[in-house]
Amino acid sequence: MAFPTDGSRALKAYGLPTNVLVDYMLLAAPCSVIRQVTVDVLDILDKAASTSSAQTRLAFTGKSGCGKSYLLLQAVQYAVQKDWITLYIPRAINLVNSSTPYVYDPRTQTYGQPAFAQQLLKRFADVNEALIKDMKVQGSYPFEERTIDSTSTLTDLINVGLEYSQQAPTVLNTLLSELAQQTKAPVLLAIDDFQALYNMSLYRDPYYKPVKAYHLSLPRTLLEFASGKQAFKRGAVLGALSMQNTTFRPPLELVEALGLEPAQPSGPYVPREKDLVEYAQGLKNFPVPDQLTVDEAASIFDVWHSAKALHIPRGDETFLSKFTESGGNAREFVKKALLQTVAL
Amino acid sequence: MNIARHVAWSAVRSRAYATAAYVPPASLEGLQRGRAPPPKPKPESPTFYTGRANYYDQLLVLENATKHTRTALQELQLLPLPKFARENLPPLRAVWKNKVDLAELMDANLTTSRYRRFLAQLNQLNDYRRLAEVAGHIELAQRVQRVLDIFERDNKEAILARGKRKPVKFDEFGRSYTIGRRKESTARVWVIPTQPSPEDQLASSSSAPLQAAASSAPAASTQAVGISGFTEGPLSFAPAPVKVTTTNILVNNIPLAEYFPHVSDRERIVRPFRIAGLVGAFNVFALVRGGGSTGQSGALCLGIAKALAAHVPDSEPLLRKAKLLKRDPRMVERKKTGRAKARKAYTWVKR
Repeated sequence: MAFPTDGSRALKAYGLPTNVLVDYMLLAAPCSVIRQVTVDVLDILDKAASTSSAQTRLAFTGKSGCGKSYLLLQAVQYAVQKDWITLYIPRAINLVNSSTPYVYDPRTQTYGQPAFAQQLLKRFADVNEALIKDMKVQGSYPFEERTIDSTSTLTDLINVGLEYSQQAPTVLNTLLSELAQQTKAPVLLAIDDFQALYNMSLYRDPYYKPVKAYHLSLPRTLLEFASGKQAFKRGAVLGALSMQNTTFRPPLELVEALGLEPAQPSGPYVPREKDLVEYAQGLKNFPVPDQLTVDEAASIFDVWHSAKALHIPRGDETFLSKFTESGGNAREFVKKALLQTVAL
Repeated sequence: MNIARHVAWSAVRSRAYATAAYVPPASLEGLQRGRAPPPKPKPESPTFYTGRANYYDQLLVLENATKHTRTALQELQLLPLPKFARENLPPLRAVWKNKVDLAELMDANLTTSRYRRFLAQLNQLNDYRRLAEVAGHIELAQRVQRVLDIFERDNKEAILARGKRKPVKFDEFGRSYTIGRRKESTARVWVIPTQPSPEDQLASSSSAPLQAAASSAPAASTQAVGISGFTEGPLSFAPAPVKVTTTNILVNNIPLAEYFPHVSDRERIVRPFRIAGLVGAFNVFALVRGGGSTGQSGALCLGIAKALAAHVPDSEPLLRKAKLLKRDPRMVERKKTGRAKARKAYTWVKR
């Protein structure tokens, strides 16, 4: 099913996870298949529109390639269509893999990432312009260059961050706390590569010790919303774990909080970080099924054939044999069975 | 002594004229004649006088049996057999005891030449037995077989069954167990037919039987109308959607896509299903050991092909034509002395 073209401004603005992006470069129009889990997530979002985000904090889990990123994308698209305020971070790994500059802020005693924050503010403004147009700031924030008080709008606050990159991290945190207090529109915070926020980052402090992810300003804020320490009055927090990157694997604290089977030693003598346990507390596991159903896989097969992107015959025998080879796994089905096959 | 004999002889001959010296009868009374030897008991078997009584006993038994059988066959006009009939008899497959066992059975020392002679006799009798069997005289054949059974090996059936393909067995759940090998890998494969899920079974039984062609692209939204322009007949309504069962393959308890990351390996494994047209009909559980990914996938392919041939005998000629039922005999060639590898030679130096 194709995404509606007017809603895809969120896709264009925020960007896409890497694995999804490759698909969309091959297909003419971005689309995804509606599954039972999609319907379930959209139902949950509908219910969460009127409740605090502390009550709806989901983490999508499942095998590698089962469709967690796509599901999150579908949820973000739905929220945008339903006039939610959305903040979507498609690649949270970029927050912790030392790919953006970082600056220590002595006031908050955390490391801010000004470039990333500035870019995120710009994207947020692009997508949610119409919704935050008339929202007034509820607190008072004296910045060096300008003071933001109750006469200014959220747009003015964002502009401070856009103009002065050194203020961008603070502006972003302030923006999120402002959004937490308003009740005009529900807020969706969607993070892909969610487990990266619970790991050790690749940044180093002046003593060359690794910096923990929750000592970085933006990840810390995201973790606070994810753990319920801060909450939107109306909204939800959705995170999708990514099993592909082995540098940033889900740590034991997150795995136990979600009730998954630990792949690492998990006895009573293995230390668990208290902070991480707190940040993972209250997250609900939303498992995504490993296998596509035959109908869903057939829809994907149809879409790819209609886009004239495949070199294999369009027949039920081919389809079923490719489905068997991939074992129903969505990524294996598209990437390996359909695109990399030579057995016609 | 000679003289006495001579005289006795001449007395018997009773010739009128005298030829020998005259001996008065009174002197002949005390004469000691040659004593007859004491009567000995007759031996039971004529083989008593041979050095190997046990052996010749057995041989005589056989020879007698052969003689009687020959007579019987001649009466039945089965001997002598014309050339064309002799050529068309089924082959003889005899498994006689070896020399040591036969010696133990007979309780006699056997040399090779005696053993061979014995075997020749056995083979002759076996030949007559075959003749009787083929001609339909089962009773005669069975009687001869009883004699021959004594001299046959205990594991005759096992020896004759060597080299024959054993039929694949199914257990009480309908699972087949086959083994496939390739290079250094072995795959033990259990294959069971898939069953539609209960709700699909209900749906298929409740809906009217239609000629539903399984299309590859049923859209997510179900169409309720048939082809436009038709108001009645089978083309006026959409065919009932066919519920397709899928093949799940577990290798060492890991799904196929996870165990074999290479596409070529996965395709090799699914190929038997494609050729037989049975994709989605069976589920597979396999334990694979040894070798690398190519060997393991090849072994799996052979195991699955054998299982499909057992479950669906009609697919056997298809699989055979596709050479999927043949164990690939290629193995890694050994390294030879004087060469860097099996074939690779060291650089040739002119001097």
